[in-house]
Amino acid sequence: MSDADGRSARGRAGPRPPLAAYPLGWRVLDALEAAAELWPRRWGGAVKWLMLLPALALVGLLLWGLGVMADASLRAMDFRTYRLAEEWSAANFAKAWGSAAFWATARRSLVAAVAVTAICLALALPYAYAMTRTRRPGLRRLLLIGLFLPFFIGQVVRAYGWLILLGQQGMVNQALGAAGLGPYRLLFEYPTVIFGLVQYMLPFAALMLAPALAAVPEEVERAAASCGASWPRTLWHVVIPMARPGLIAAALVVSTLTLTDFAMPAIMGGGGSDFLANLVYDQFFRTSDAGLGSAITLILTFLGTTVAAVLLTMAGIAAQGGRGRR
Amino acid sequence: MPAAAHPAAADIPAVEARGLARRYGDAQALRAASFTVAKGRFLTVLGPSGSGKSTLLRLIAGFERADAGDLRLFGRPVEAVPPHRRSVGMVFQRLALFPHMTAADNVAFPLRMRRWDARDIPARVERFLALVRLEGLGRRRPDELSGGQQQRVAIARALVFEPQLLLLDEPLASLDAKLREEMQLEFRRIQRELGVTTINVTHDQREALVMSDQVIVMEGGRILQDAAPETLWREPAHPFVAGFLGVGTFLEGVAADGPALDVAGRRLPGRTTAGAPAPRPGHPAQGALRAERVTLGPAGTLPPGSDAAVEAVVEDAIFEGDRILYELRLPGLGGARLRAIDADPGARARHAPGDRVAAGWARGDFLLFDASDRTGRLP
Ligand SMILES: Nc1ncnc2c1ncn2[C@@H]1O[C@H](COP(=O)(O)OP(=O)(O)OP(=O)(O)O)[C@@H](O)[C@H]1O
Ligand SMILES: [Mg+2]
Repeated sequence: MSDADGRSARGRAGPRPPLAAYPLGWRVLDALEAAAELWPRRWGGAVKWLMLLPALALVGLLLWGLGVMADASLRAMDFRTYRLAEEWSAANFAKAWGSAAFWATARRSLVAAVAVTAICLALALPYAYAMTRTRRPGLRRLLLIGLFLPFFIGQVVRAYGWLILLGQQGMVNQALGAAGLGPYRLLFEYPTVIFGLVQYMLPFAALMLAPALAAVPEEVERAAASCGASWPRTLWHVVIPMARPGLIAAALVVSTLTLTDFAMPAIMGGGGSDFLANLVYDQFFRTSDAGLGSAITLILTFLGTTVAAVLLTMAGIAAQGGRGRR
Repeated sequence: MPAAAHPAAADIPAVEARGLARRYGDAQALRAASFTVAKGRFLTVLGPSGSGKSTLLRLIAGFERADAGDLRLFGRPVEAVPPHRRSVGMVFQRLALFPHMTAADNVAFPLRMRRWDARDIPARVERFLALVRLEGLGRRRPDELSGGQQQRVAIARALVFEPQLLLLDEPLASLDAKLREEMQLEFRRIQRELGVTTINVTHDQREALVMSDQVIVMEGGRILQDAAPETLWREPAHPFVAGFLGVGTFLEGVAADGPALDVAGRRLPGRTTAGAPAPRPGHPAQGALRAERVTLGPAGTLPPGSDAAVEAVVEDAIFEGDRILYELRLPGLGGARLRAIDADPGARARHAPGDRVAAGWARGDFLLFDASDRTGRLP
């Protein structure tokens, strides 16, 4: 619809512009406004709750599921009948507590969460920094593509890709063999799982860090330099504190995703490097012990929540630091 | 504290630039800039937006490298010296305070980074907060301070480590007029007190004249004039400089002997300025006239103190409180326009729109510039 059309039509029809002269998005908003007029004023306070409804429904569903799990976790499995006991007991938790395998798995998950988070932040920071600071549009585009491309390739596909590359007959061992080395056992080890997780989580971390780093004005960095700070000192004393909310958010996402990960340990760990999620899977689908599975699920949820709470507390302190004490 | 490497020889300039150039993509931000600043002086770089002022400061501070040219600070070539090793304090266009630190921590930051004795730092920070009149506000964070107070934190931070050179990139631009004037005087006071060589950037001509020992006028990446404020005001070396320093009227014509300007058959006597090439008789030229140097009188007379007068019609008379601004049309000069300011309205007759008057000026106030090459600039 050209401008001239709108003007001539307006000339004919008086001061009111024809609706067709405006883009579709505007007309949709007009319709919404008209619809809002029909909504009784007195119910205005209900609108925000209505908007929250989908989210509330989702959270409610999760809580309900958690409730079912909590109930199941308190009932021991009777292996003669394969039914959960009628009465509640702490038997499942006691079983997990007394199991060396459970402790080893829990430790493995937690260590992985901490290690993967630390490595990802350390690697994502320079990447995101380069991406937000480069003056060359070509380089920025390249880094952006490098960041988003991994999201198009699922975790399982990537894990299998690593199997092909790192196997006994894989490309890496072939290359090493050509150089007269190896073959080495590269797969099905704990470090391999960590490596796979880092490779998987890195884009998440970089994606969350980029806006936080972009929000640090270049002039502030220059100010630090003019104050006598070398680049590492500027990074440490100025850039990282100012980007702290982004760092915390990235840590939150990476650590909780790692802690609860299933596919990487399942595929690249080869059964020897299971995480808690794999243990839960085994209880439900191998030994059919829904009670113990539920108990471990609750423990995992508790661990994840604790990690998140610790990180969010740090974020709270950071936010206070950023905005001053009020 | 680190021993500032003051070269013994007093005649080494603080800043010596020769042929500095810098381009961004296809924009030539700075072209062959050459100038020197003596130690302890206050230089202002004056120019319109985009004229390359900030670019010049970035080169001096070391944030960017020149494409060509030579820069020496206190006699030392600084090409290879990174910004954090140059003894240069800077107040940025957008202040660039550290938002996560208190005002006192902001001021202490350069001292810590430069490894001052930690025991001396608190007292020194206090002293500099007092210098910028921020006593007692050291515990506040930048967002808990007013714009003017943030400004002063930035100034204290730039000065606290005794830089050999202070760079100010329009730090006053965002302040309201009253606070700006206050801060201008404050700057002058602090600069005198500490005796630090200062380069200030602004596009406010008043600020340039008030604060500086030396002014550089830039346009399109070029230095048009480098002179003391008074010289700049009296002897602008380029019509652009005259225009930037408040000359409201330019009359177009042909240069004549005398020197004078022929406009529509009238010969108007004027003078050439030092530093500007004299217009060649018979070639296009322009005459610049400040509104406050124009005197109005009854039509047909020569107003007092004038060497020349033209017939004018009052188009508008704008009351500005302490003065009246007249917009005039000059029918005798092909309809050219002229501005006149009556700075003492009580003492003289008021003119109303439509009145015919005589507009006169002294020969020395009519500045003649060559206009034969309108695109050409000073060498
Ligand atoms: N990083 C950059 N990339 C591209 N062009 C730039 C860059 N910095 C400056 N320029 C260009 O260089 C020219 C000079 O810029 P500069 O910042 O020095 O102007 P300025 O005199 O400080 O203007 P202002 O008074 O608006 O701050 C402008 O045309 C500007 O667009
Ligand atoms: Mg600028």
